[in-house]
Amino acid sequence: MTTQRQYTLPNCNLIVEGMTTDANDPASPLSVVMNVECQLPGATDATLTGGREFLDHLVAAVSLYAQQLLSGVPQPIQAVAESPPMITMKPGEGFYHHLIVRDQAKDTTPTDAEAIAPLDVRLSTVQFHDLMEAIDQLLADTLTLPDLQPQFQSISRRQVKPSEPAAKRAAPAAIGAAALAAAGLAFFFVPPPEFEPSQSSPDSDTPAETTDTGLTSPPGTSAEDAITPETEDLPPTSEPGTDDTTSGDINPDEDAPEAGLEDSEATPSAADAAAAVDRLSSAPAITDAATLTLLRDDLRRTLANAWDADSRPEEDLEYRVAVAEDGDILGYKYQDSAALEAVDNTPLPALAFQPTDDTAPIPEAVAQFLIRFTPDGEVEVEPTGNSASSVREGAVDAPADSTTATPLADTAELSAIEEPIADRTTLEALVRTLRRDIADNLDPLSANQDLTYQVRLTADGEVVGYAPVDAESGLLAAETPLPELVVANGTEGEVADFRVVFTEDGVIQVSPWEGWPQ
Amino acid sequence: MPVDSPPLSSSPLVLDSLVTPELPASECPRRARMQIDLLLLAIEALDLGGGEAMLAAARDLSLNELVRGRVHLWLLRSTNPMRRYSQRRPLSLEEAKALVVIIANLARRLTVLTRQLLLGYQQLTEKQLSLEHHFRLADYLTRFRTHFRSRMNPRRAGVIAYSTDDKLDDLAIQLLEQLLLCSGVLGSQRLWSSLFDGEVL
Repeated sequence: MTTQRQYTLPNCNLIVEGMTTDANDPASPLSVVMNVECQLPGATDATLTGGREFLDHLVAAVSLYAQQLLSGVPQPIQAVAESPPMITMKPGEGFYHHLIVRDQAKDTTPTDAEAIAPLDVRLSTVQFHDLMEAIDQLLADTLTLPDLQPQFQSISRRQVKPSEPAAKRAAPAAIGAAALAAAGLAFFFVPPPEFEPSQSSPDSDTPAETTDTGLTSPPGTSAEDAITPETEDLPPTSEPGTDDTTSGDINPDEDAPEAGLEDSEATPSAADAAAAVDRLSSAPAITDAATLTLLRDDLRRTLANAWDADSRPEEDLEYRVAVAEDGDILGYKYQDSAALEAVDNTPLPALAFQPTDDTAPIPEAVAQFLIRFTPDGEVEVEPTGNSASSVREGAVDAPADSTTATPLADTAELSAIEEPIADRTTLEALVRTLRRDIADNLDPLSANQDLTYQVRLTADGEVVGYAPVDAESGLLAAETPLPELVVANGTEGEVADFRVVFTEDGVIQVSPWEGWPQ
Repeated sequence: MPVDSPPLSSSPLVLDSLVTPELPASECPRRARMQIDLLLLAIEALDLGGGEAMLAAARDLSLNELVRGRVHLWLLRSTNPMRRYSQRRPLSLEEAKALVVIIANLARRLTVLTRQLLLGYQQLTEKQLSLEHHFRLADYLTRFRTHFRSRMNPRRAGVIAYSTDDKLDDLAIQLLEQLLLCSGVLGSQRLWSSLFDGEVL
């Protein structure tokens, strides 16, 4: 039998007519929907009518729109179906909503004129709520249309239109990629850093070694290699290979400059070394006159030996150098631009000590010297600053005015006694001879401590060389008779080393350097 | 026959109508947590005893297991990231369901008031009168603004967007409409489904 179900709310009247499944029970569910009427009093006078299709569209449209109102997420844009939905809902201005009904069933529409044009019903929120509530009651009513189930489906992520356009979202990634490309391009032109193992400059002459001077070179080595000028004040009169008891500046051997230059390619930049000098300015200064004098001689000899005389400068090159107590060149600084340009022609870069940590303060005492490379191939060394006065004091009165050059020898040459005198009797005789010779020529010494020398004698009792063992001895060597005793004849034949000690009390002690033979 | 063990605790029957959505993570998304808390805030602004009513509704709906008292309710609501004392704990889907059912339940009780306020708002807007002319509506708006400002962290970007009275009023009216929409017979399901718009896979 035909029955009618009505859902009434203040602003909505929804009437569903249909056939009940059980003809005898009017309360049984409807099997066929014959007519649906929807009146919206207050919103429109028109009665929306239709069949089951109209009802389905109405339910779908209202449900989707209600979900949009609740979530704020706009409905996904429906793919264009074969036919546009009969009923759509759109938000209006303010709190209004628009229910748009197309394709109104013509025969049942009271207003035929509106049949073709879509019917636009403006609903307030409350009116829309009543419409929705009527539909919900129909959906929830299991006794009317059990097959009409509420279909609630959240909008999936893919259907949500991104809040920002694709170009805007891609911008950060594009900027990042562009920045990376630019950085890559920029670094392409930067050369990769070359690893250059830094070698500390070997400075083979330590103070102990520099004081081990005075002995002539062993056979096989040219004499001039062992010769270093005593003072720069005297003209370079001595000829290499001749009598080395005369004093004077010795030109570095032009043919054998390789000694100590093997690592000259490890050339530090001038700036580094210059910085080192500045850094050294805060280091304590060496004030001991004897040490300063030795350091000065040592420095001059080292530089002269290491200087490649082929690269003589056009003019004087002046540098300020800082020397540690052990003779290492800790740093240097050019005095003018010419010196800066020619710094690579001097042995300074090769000899300068390479600190491992540029920033660490230098704890040891340093002496500063002004060195000058002259066009004549000479190396002049002068003390500077606070070192100068003390050096001059000590230097002038003791060794500087000596007329005797102090022959210097390397460690290798000292130990290279090829034919030592081993005969005890001969040694005893030599000891006696040496002590007598010294005593005969001895003047009172100004030393306030023992002076010790290593003296080399031939079997005939002739002194061929001597070397002070400490700084004080080296400084006061000129006061001893030793420089006068040196006879520079050939070094062929047997020689022996003796330890000569001038005690503070004026006693001369002479003993074989290696001890008495057993 | 005596029963030795208590019955297995299962989710309350009132939650069965809410279908668990397919989410990437089994906890409530950010927007859902904000929306639930804001709707509860609107209920509090509508009803002076709203807080107590929420607890009472939880008891009535036998949701005690999921909403265990005042502090727990506060913890659940503080999962809203806009909150001044926002909790880092996640809001589980079951807890969210319970809150949604409570919201729908309270919204149904407040339907009459909600309709009155919305109709008044509509009339005042059409006549271009200020909202203070409707005493009850102005009361609601004032209370909502106070609640919002006292509980939300003003430094959060989501809260800064509601810095002015007008913007807060718009939010309050919007929440009022949403409360009305979820006050129907299927209100809880509609609200639940809308919470995950744009979140489900």
